[in-house]
Amino acid sequence: MENNQQESLLQMHVDYDGGNILRETVRWSRFLSIVGIIAIAFFALIFAVAGSAMLAAFSSLSPGLEGLASMGGVIVIVFCLVAFAIAGYIVFMLYRFSTLTRKAIDHQDQGLFAEGMKCLKIYFVINGVLAVLSLLFNLLSITKLFHS
Amino acid sequence: MEDQQIPSASSPLDNFFNISFDDAVRSQVRGAASWAKICALCAFIGAGVGLIVAFFGVSGATVGTENIRVNSFARVGMILGALISAAISVFINYWLYRFATSTTKGMDAMDSVKTNEGLNSLRTYFRILGVILIIVLSLFALGVLIGLLSLGMGGR
Repeated sequence: MENNQQESLLQMHVDYDGGNILRETVRWSRFLSIVGIIAIAFFALIFAVAGSAMLAAFSSLSPGLEGLASMGGVIVIVFCLVAFAIAGYIVFMLYRFSTLTRKAIDHQDQGLFAEGMKCLKIYFVINGVLAVLSLLFNLLSITKLFHS
Repeated sequence: MEDQQIPSASSPLDNFFNISFDDAVRSQVRGAASWAKICALCAFIGAGVGLIVAFFGVSGATVGTENIRVNSFARVGMILGALISAAISVFINYWLYRFATSTTKGMDAMDSVKTNEGLNSLRTYFRILGVILIIVLSLFALGVLIGLLSLGMGGR
């Protein structure tokens, strides 16, 4: 009992300023996540309705994408589904971070606070992996550009 | 005197004292901060790569299917675009980097001032992203409105 009290006293608590900062952080992140969810749903709907027409238009515009239509729509559809799924998971994690952290502050719930921070970590992990991958592609394209 | 009760009304200051940065939360925040640092560093390097491509790579590049050389006007436009996008990217990710460094320091030293500083940077990062999103959405709505109006004018 005494040990628990000592541990609690030694821990760093979320103070008034920290709570207010977290509240506002959560407000903005919730806005971003909701707009992100709507945007992903909107683009998925557009792709579902006019996907084949868009692929045909792209392949006629750019000579590099001629093979796209012949590759079979399946690969393109799978690629788009994976992209939508990853983007959806990222914004869902951001939304969960906002809602759980908000609830944790409102209800003083340590468990929800930990869950919220876990979602923030997952959000940054996925973003970090994507950032590293895109940087590698960038560096690859820059070497190609200077070699050609 | 003995019967006198302590006022039960809690001040806002007391409201946050029940949640703390315990071991579990600290490890999650540390993980988030280290990945956020990776994101920010990748963005800084990406902005640099973009600038290098804009300054040195465009002169040899070709446009479209007919191998038309990029003229000097388009080149200036591309360099300006790269400069602006690099500046915006660096500005946004500077706050993410600050979140990562300050929060990690705060978590390691159990320093609530540093932790709050880091969380404040995260708030600024999300706020800037939100403002940019609002601007983009407004421009998109304006474009749709202008498109609809021009369609309406053309129909008459």
